[in-house]
Amino acid sequence: MNEGKRPGGLTALAIINFILAGLSSLSLFGMVALFGLIDTMPTEKMDEAQRAQMEAVQNMGMPTLVLIVVLTLLSGVLLLLSGIGYLKQKKVLGRLVGNIYALSAIVGSLVSGLLFKPELGGGFHFGTIIGLIYPILTLALINTTFKDDLTN
Amino acid sequence: MNLRTLNARHIWLISLHWSRHAVRSGAGLVYLLIALVFGLSVAHMVIMPVEQLMTVQERQTGKRDLEAVKSTIINVGRPVTRFVLGLKSMEDLARESAVEERAGPANAPTADPAGNGGRLDPWTSFLLEDRPALLSIIFLVLVFGMPFAISFLAFNQVTGDIQSHGLRYLLLRTERGNIYFGRFLGTAAFSTAVMAVIVATITLYLGLRVRMYPAAALAVWATHGFLALALLMLPYIAVCSMVSASVDSPFLSLVVAKLIIGGVLLFAIMGGLKWEAAKLVKYALPWGWQNHLLHPDPSHWLAAGLACLLYTAVFLMLGYTRFETRDL
Repeated sequence: MNEGKRPGGLTALAIINFILAGLSSLSLFGMVALFGLIDTMPTEKMDEAQRAQMEAVQNMGMPTLVLIVVLTLLSGVLLLLSGIGYLKQKKVLGRLVGNIYALSAIVGSLVSGLLFKPELGGGFHFGTIIGLIYPILTLALINTTFKDDLTN
Repeated sequence: MNLRTLNARHIWLISLHWSRHAVRSGAGLVYLLIALVFGLSVAHMVIMPVEQLMTVQERQTGKRDLEAVKSTIINVGRPVTRFVLGLKSMEDLARESAVEERAGPANAPTADPAGNGGRLDPWTSFLLEDRPALLSIIFLVLVFGMPFAISFLAFNQVTGDIQSHGLRYLLLRTERGNIYFGRFLGTAAFSTAVMAVIVATITLYLGLRVRMYPAAALAVWATHGFLALALLMLPYIAVCSMVSASVDSPFLSLVVAKLIIGGVLLFAIMGGLKWEAAKLVKYALPWGWQNHLLHPDPSHWLAAGLACLLYTAVFLMLGYTRFETRDL
């Protein structure tokens, strides 16, 4: 069991968590603002792909928007809490919450791929793989490399 | 400098420990994220327009026309590839583009995937027609971009221990040379593993999802590209080893390594605008010939590979000489 100095990788993981939590909250504001202003946006100068995207957002519906907001909010909160847990090397706040974040992010990514239209980023594409890098890395690192460091 | 103190078993143990614990350090984790995000983002930017083109095709005609898609990739990729390979300058490309616009689309030169009429120059033709073009374009970008990322992994091979005076405790059990070469090998192994993950992910996606190229062609070219990238990282890791052995501060080691790797290329480009001889500076690092690792002629890529190993040996020995004699 390693109860000593916190490894640099764990500190880096925590900092990246905080950065992603901040970006998550910014994207939340952006999404809410976009949904509020979508009907007033001019579409005359847009190309076919952009117009299809706008239509997909307009036809998205409240339940889908609520789902996106909840997933983003949950992700941000879990990132923040697990980041604090990594810094304090806590077993529950660090390892357990970190696992919950990683699994919820992976499930959320797969669910949104199935539910959303391709114009909204749905379906399976390379962007999905990029979005899964950090959750998979978190899952692997906190259960192997840093397993003995999150024990307080 | 005493090479007789080198012990293969010590070097092996140190390299194994270093590569397994690379991610425990912040630098290893940061490099892992940067390399994965950069590598896969490059692939995403290259593959996404092709997927969108296929989607539009399917919507309009009800089926995929792979030959038309490949032809579009070749037409779009041709000028960029020629520029990256140094076969054409920006002025030449701009001139050719202006000529094509004046001639009109009906008379514009088009690539012939069957290789009969309008074949490109041998190198561009090899990359875009004889090999999976998407993979070639991705490899060209990675060959250019990955040297900038490698310093995040390799800058702190011995510097941190020198600064903390912790190296003296290791020197009770082994010699300086074993630590130096062991950590270099461990760093190289970790970098190679990351390259393998990136190339495997891209290749599997192209093979299973995009399905434009035969699996055998993808596998062969992916293996070549992976080996080229893995070999190309060695001289840059050796430069970082040399810098790490020479300075006392990890941050300074990172800054100096970045300045050397990026500065050589920048100086060659900017200096070359005023003074032709300044372009030769890029040969101080593999910048001058690293694209030859993807050349059609085996003598070119074999020579490029050997040059990588030679550069690695030179930088390593310079660093080792410094590390052996410095005060720790």
